[in-house]
Amino acid sequence: MPALTDHLPQLTDGLLSTLLLMVLSFFGALILGLLVAAARVSPVASLRGAATAYVELFQNIPLLAWLLLFVFALPEAGIIFPLFTTAVIVLSLYEAAYTAEAIRSGINSVGLGQAEAARALGLTTLQNLRHIVLPQALRAVVQPLTNVFIALTMNTSLAAAVGVVELTHAANEVNLQEAQPIAVFVGAGIAYMALALVIGLTGGFIERRVAIVR
Amino acid sequence: MRSTTVVRTSRRTFLAVASASILALGLSACGGGGSALPGGPGSQSASSSDSTASFLKGAPVAAEATMADGTTMAKIRKRGYLIVGGSSDAPLLSQKNPVTGKYEGFDAYMGQLLATYIFGKPNVHILSSATQTREALLQNHTVDVVFQTYSITPERAKQVTFVGPYLSSGFEIATRKGDNVSSLAELDGKTVIAGANTPAIAKIKKEAPKAKILTFDTDPACIQALTQGRGTAYVQDSITLAADLKDHPDFQINGKPFDTGHMGIGVPKDQNDMAGFVNTWLTTAVKDGSWTKVWNASLGTALGDTTAPAPGSVPDVYTPKA
Repeated sequence: MPALTDHLPQLTDGLLSTLLLMVLSFFGALILGLLVAAARVSPVASLRGAATAYVELFQNIPLLAWLLLFVFALPEAGIIFPLFTTAVIVLSLYEAAYTAEAIRSGINSVGLGQAEAARALGLTTLQNLRHIVLPQALRAVVQPLTNVFIALTMNTSLAAAVGVVELTHAANEVNLQEAQPIAVFVGAGIAYMALALVIGLTGGFIERRVAIVR
Repeated sequence: MRSTTVVRTSRRTFLAVASASILALGLSACGGGGSALPGGPGSQSASSSDSTASFLKGAPVAAEATMADGTTMAKIRKRGYLIVGGSSDAPLLSQKNPVTGKYEGFDAYMGQLLATYIFGKPNVHILSSATQTREALLQNHTVDVVFQTYSITPERAKQVTFVGPYLSSGFEIATRKGDNVSSLAELDGKTVIAGANTPAIAKIKKEAPKAKILTFDTDPACIQALTQGRGTAYVQDSITLAADLKDHPDFQINGKPFDTGHMGIGVPKDQNDMAGFVNTWLTTAVKDGSWTKVWNASLGTALGDTTAPAPGSVPDVYTPKA
């Protein structure tokens, strides 16, 4: 255990970095995912096509490949961001595909009659989405979104491979000094588990608060 | 209903293929001749197989009596091959040749030499071990030995037995051509790239406390980061750097090697018989010139001649009881 307690500041810094990575990426993914989901159900065929292509592109290529591409291949084209920023961008883009699919399933759960009624009353597509469909759709997908958030949290650990000093990276560094892989990585694992538990419980709480009683 | 499903599937397939080809296009466009992605196949020639065979000719083979029933060595012999923890992406040390599928380099050849000592044939299975997991792999006996430029440190010596040193190397500072740095202290306040697995990190923190240290898991990733200007300098052991400079004429080495470190062969702590056996083998291999043959077939091509370190000459390694 001294392997962990001796390096607590280093590990705490890593944990904070993971938290920041997680929160920023989740908001990025949520906003982008909403836009993509809206495009996927829009009446404009080209928007639908673009959104579908986006989702397929990001879901069919592993996250690590995206991270490596953005960190090592983009600079070859003259685009270079700091590592942390790159990780936030990639995680947002990648998880947005999953968020969009979750939200789309929520949109599909809203009765067709509601959108038709709104249109009959003269609401535009955007007004229809904003006031009628999305508020109901989002309530239905709190749990799926929570799952995406938990997956995102686990996925932040991949950023360690491209030099971002987050929890896994910090654990690696501590292990390098102490040569105690089991203690160090079990410790890091417990920290991740605690994060996932907090997210899961919060998701459950929100779901109960906003649930549509039918 | 049926027809829509069919349409869906074909569209999905089309999209998957389309996105993959877009990515492939992007990759080849970014490649620019070299390998843009770290870990991409290096420019190793496949013609080194001749030299591979030569170091095994006349290699020492252990007497049957040293591998009596009940010993660890007898168990390995029964299995028929030696399991070595090593790398697959370290040029000149242990790199899997993408053409032949064979491992090439100093560590890989030393593993073959040890296997020859046990079986009379180089029967080796290399298990690609990460630097984070070597202690655990040895402790739970997933591997028999580790040949992976395994730096000998007191903390690690508490977990595993080190036999050696079988290789010694200092650290050097590599930069892009034109950026002259003569010492670590000059890097204070700058961004320094280092391998995630090197003890150099502690040294940089001491000499240049304000330097920002950027670490990547693999050496090719570090090289790529230096090429792209993510850091001013790359600190790594001189052996790895010598191999890198062969492929990167746009880099230069600055100053003299500092802080010489020693590397050992990792053996499980609870297998003292194996440690003694490996120690006898290493001493023999150094004495009869096998070590030098392996060096010449691998690292020697980039670093020139050298002398083998004397086994047992540093603290924290296995010493045979008199």
